[in-house]
Amino acid sequence: MLKRVLDWLDERIEVRNLWETMTNRPIPGGSSWFYVLGSSLLFVFALQMVTGILLTLYYAPVPDHAYQSVKYIQEEALFGSFVRGLHHWGATFMVVLVSLHMLRVFVFGAYKKPREVVWLVGTGLFLIVFGFAFTGYLLPWDQKAYWATVVGTNVAGTVPVVGGFLLRIIRGGAELGDFALSRFFTIHTYILPWSLALLAGLHVFLLERAGAGGTWNAAERTPYRSEPLFPHQIFKDSIFILLLVLALSSFAHFFPAPLEPQADPTDSTYNPRPEWYFYAVFQMLRIFEGPFELIGTVVLPTVVITLLLLVPFIDRRPERDPWRRKAMMTAAALAVAGVMALTIAGARAPIVGVPAVTEESALAGRQVYARSGCVACHSIHGKGGTIGPDLTGVGARKDRAWLDKFLADPQAVKPGVLMPKPDVTDSERQELVDYLLSLKQ
Amino acid sequence: MSEEGITRRNFMIRTMVSIFAFIGAALAVPLGGFSIFPALKRRESGWSDAGTARDLRVNVPQERRFYEVVKKGWREEKVERAAWFVKQETGIIVVFSPSCPHLGCGYRWLAATQRFECPCHASVFDINGKVLSGPAPRALDVMESRLDNGRVLVKFEIFQLGTPKKVLAWRRRHAETGA
Repeated sequence: MLKRVLDWLDERIEVRNLWETMTNRPIPGGSSWFYVLGSSLLFVFALQMVTGILLTLYYAPVPDHAYQSVKYIQEEALFGSFVRGLHHWGATFMVVLVSLHMLRVFVFGAYKKPREVVWLVGTGLFLIVFGFAFTGYLLPWDQKAYWATVVGTNVAGTVPVVGGFLLRIIRGGAELGDFALSRFFTIHTYILPWSLALLAGLHVFLLERAGAGGTWNAAERTPYRSEPLFPHQIFKDSIFILLLVLALSSFAHFFPAPLEPQADPTDSTYNPRPEWYFYAVFQMLRIFEGPFELIGTVVLPTVVITLLLLVPFIDRRPERDPWRRKAMMTAAALAVAGVMALTIAGARAPIVGVPAVTEESALAGRQVYARSGCVACHSIHGKGGTIGPDLTGVGARKDRAWLDKFLADPQAVKPGVLMPKPDVTDSERQELVDYLLSLKQ
Repeated sequence: MSEEGITRRNFMIRTMVSIFAFIGAALAVPLGGFSIFPALKRRESGWSDAGTARDLRVNVPQERRFYEVVKKGWREEKVERAAWFVKQETGIIVVFSPSCPHLGCGYRWLAATQRFECPCHASVFDINGKVLSGPAPRALDVMESRLDNGRVLVKFEIFQLGTPKKVLAWRRRHAETGA
């Protein structure tokens, strides 16, 4: 049956020929476990597309609902935690795989003639992967999302002359609010996926045109030593992809994607930290002070991206053996060591003042208020339930002694009142009272 | 192929290129404008009531939350704002924007060291907002404020960050054109 379908198709559009052209490409020097990174990236990307599309079934890209919808996915949706976990860890896998893939191509000298354009497109793909990671961050609208994006977008704002305009374009205004979230959502779910899919297609197509690089050893790059892409290389790819999926599922299952408290733009007690793969950039922002700040935010990133793009044009000798490309390999080793050192330093950066702002116990009380479910019955400035009295301006209406007595035992003050006794410790009750007293308007 | 044929061919190619260049240029303005117009909008902050001045003690910075009515796209909303209030010995109340002028993290007052510290990239400021150490390129941003009947009114504004100069993050609406 399958044969008859293929025959039918073959007669019209030569499918067998197409398959042959695509899969019979020789790999000089034969297949290798080193070459599995590219195809596994394609696979993880496909998986990210699937999990990403599925997440949009329940996700709401507006600040009023984004956090709750992600919480719903995480806590209530069937397999929600697993699907979100796959997408979260898939992002980390993409970052790691794309970096290793680039490093592998660099060491093997595979970017050299005739594959320079393949490298250029690949560098674009590398940047897109980080673009995905950065824009994906904001979507859960939790504290980490909000503050990491405040800092990340402000980096763009430091670009000389056009910085402010650039920042307003990225955020859709001066602040990180409704428009920023919809912009990031649009970029993350429409612009970047299409860009990545098109560029990845181009990347593979160009590699087909130019031919696979294969081994760096010229003596082994003979037709006799070559193997076709299918089945030899694809077999190794498949084994590696299986291991990846096992690892990814384990991460998704055993280490659920984190979700911090909802974003609070007025919170001055939070210690913002980016994802680990941005630690190097984060640390760089700590190093350059005052007038040198631009070095960390604009100059170095531009230099690094330019150097990456120029790699095939800096070293144009046909020599591909890494042992005979000492200067290039030393530069790469230094770059990798530098990124690792910055990452480690960034991870160790001390956090400031925890517990923060001790004299402002009202801030702590605000947390108690959020935690204890008061919001289910009471509203403050239009947010919350309607069963209990509106607490807007309660600090101007009640005094400390009354609030303290009432919260300690509502029934004793107002017999028959619906208000349950809050399940808080004595010190938490004090903080709660401080918070309520701060609500004067 | 005749000489005429080549010219005709060139004519067709040039026409096609022109057609698509024209379509591109004509659409670039409306599509580009649609994408970036929020960045071009002008804005003017009003005065927000940030509570009574009485509760402020000299040289004890206080973080306060208050509400500002903000127009967000198609809706107007009460947005919660925060700022640091410092009553100086002269009795003048200075209001600092809550964003670290480096890259916008929420910094805090540490009573133990009597300094403002930022948790992100470790910028440190004194009680007057002056940079003591760290990457911050300028002092804490002071917001316009005034006293009215014992209450502190603040003009909540957002500044461009990471630059040595303090510049508003949006284009200010001219007073004469009204609100």
